[in-house]
Amino acid sequence: MRVAGLHARASLRELMRMPGYVVPTLGFPTMFFLFFAAPGSDDDATTLMVVFAGFAVLGVAFFQFGVGIATERATPWERYVRTLPVSPTQRFGGRIISALVFAAAAAALVLVAAVLTTSADLRAPQWGQLAVALLLGSIPFALFGIALGYLAPPRAALPIANVVYLTLSYCGGLWTTPDELPDAVQQLSPYLPTRALADTLVGIARGDPIQREAWLVLALYTGALLALAAWAYRHDEGERYR
Amino acid sequence: MTAVARLEGVSKSFGQVCALDDVSYEIPHGEIVALLGPNGAGKTTSLSLLLGLRRPDRGTAQLFGDDPTRPVTRRRLGTTPQEMAFPGTLRVDEVVDLVRAHYAEPPSTESLLGRFELGALGRRQTGGLSGGERRRLAVALAFAGAPELVVLDEPTTGLDVEARGAVWQELRLFVSSGGTVLLTTHYLEEAEALATKVVVIDRGRVAAAGSVDEIRARAGAGRISFRREPLPSNLAGDVSEDGDRVVIHASHPEEVVRQLVHTGARLQDLDVRPLPLEEALRLLPRGS
Repeated sequence: MRVAGLHARASLRELMRMPGYVVPTLGFPTMFFLFFAAPGSDDDATTLMVVFAGFAVLGVAFFQFGVGIATERATPWERYVRTLPVSPTQRFGGRIISALVFAAAAAALVLVAAVLTTSADLRAPQWGQLAVALLLGSIPFALFGIALGYLAPPRAALPIANVVYLTLSYCGGLWTTPDELPDAVQQLSPYLPTRALADTLVGIARGDPIQREAWLVLALYTGALLALAAWAYRHDEGERYR
Repeated sequence: MTAVARLEGVSKSFGQVCALDDVSYEIPHGEIVALLGPNGAGKTTSLSLLLGLRRPDRGTAQLFGDDPTRPVTRRRLGTTPQEMAFPGTLRVDEVVDLVRAHYAEPPSTESLLGRFELGALGRRQTGGLSGGERRRLAVALAFAGAPELVVLDEPTTGLDVEARGAVWQELRLFVSSGGTVLLTTHYLEEAEALATKVVVIDRGRVAAAGSVDEIRARAGAGRISFRREPLPSNLAGDVSEDGDRVVIHASHPEEVVRQLVHTGARLQDLDVRPLPLEEALRLLPRGS
């Protein structure tokens, strides 16, 4: 745990000193919210706030895991770190802690911007539920990011992550609310993990009971993506470290 | 003498390419072992097996008598990879601190940086280091955990003469205080100056192993030269001409000289000297 913390601290330091990473990762979802969601929002301000918070957390899951792993995996530094007495679990622990910090910051920015500029608001227990839902709901996406990081060539990871991130976010209803999507997208949407995430978040915003079906979908995706991520990780080890 | 690390009958292929074919060598405690061989011979691949970065297809790789792919096995190991780039925005002292934190009794960051003449660079971001400074930091990191064995892949490539001498000095000091070193090098003079034992790898096989003297003895121990004159045809050596002189590389130069004296050769300006390791390696019988 101590070693995982040290790796997290090093990774946070490294990233914090790269404005080119920090500003877009943290600012992009908030900017999107302020441009496209906040104007004209009224009754649905709270719903829009929570789905955009989901959008923000997803970005960190895709980019910090996916793009981060893909670009690091080919570096001499990564090869060197693998000769240190550190286990893969400790390294993943470090990655997760550092991603959590960024995800929390990105989501907090959206929430603050929404509360300040729109009529969005939640009751105290709802804020707590939102935090838990964002944390649990982002797990399958972090796993997808890990799989992408180990499967995609370093230069391809960023464009792939972008396309998947934006497409899934839109089709899942993280930029509008799920029921405002065009018909064609509505047909596809229920099968997407982002839609399940959106449903859980919207449920919390509306004070509905727990969205069992959406959570089940997320759990299924988590299982499948865990298998894919584990396979991708071992495949990488196999290719380069047999 | 106990072996700190050993490869036993290891083979390793990458697709169709066989990088190592039934390679065995060991690193005895307290020695400086130099791994020599041309580019692509399999030196770095064999190191990656000892460091737990890869697993052999066949055979076993052992580090401190244990499996190198287990993180705990690597607690007494320090490494310097052939190429090194650090996370560019981290400072030198931050990188050193991160690496030190993996070990039980690391030396202080200041003393480590001081030993490798990096003392003034602690607050510098690693992205701004020169090639030589990066190389020295990479070597310094191998010592960040007070290791018992350091494995250095071409530790002095790209260093100037002075910095190379300083690294040599550190390695000798390390061994005299009970450490063990395995290094690869392209510089034969580095192996000659530093190594107590040499393992020659060529095309994925161990071509020769032993002390520098033994390798030299096996390869052909001496170089004889004298003013040109007619020679008998059955000399036990490799004859060539250099200007007005005859040059003979021979595994037993004294026998060649005896033979020449018997045939009444004049041997004007006779010169007999041991072969530099570089020439000795070139004369090694393949696959011996």
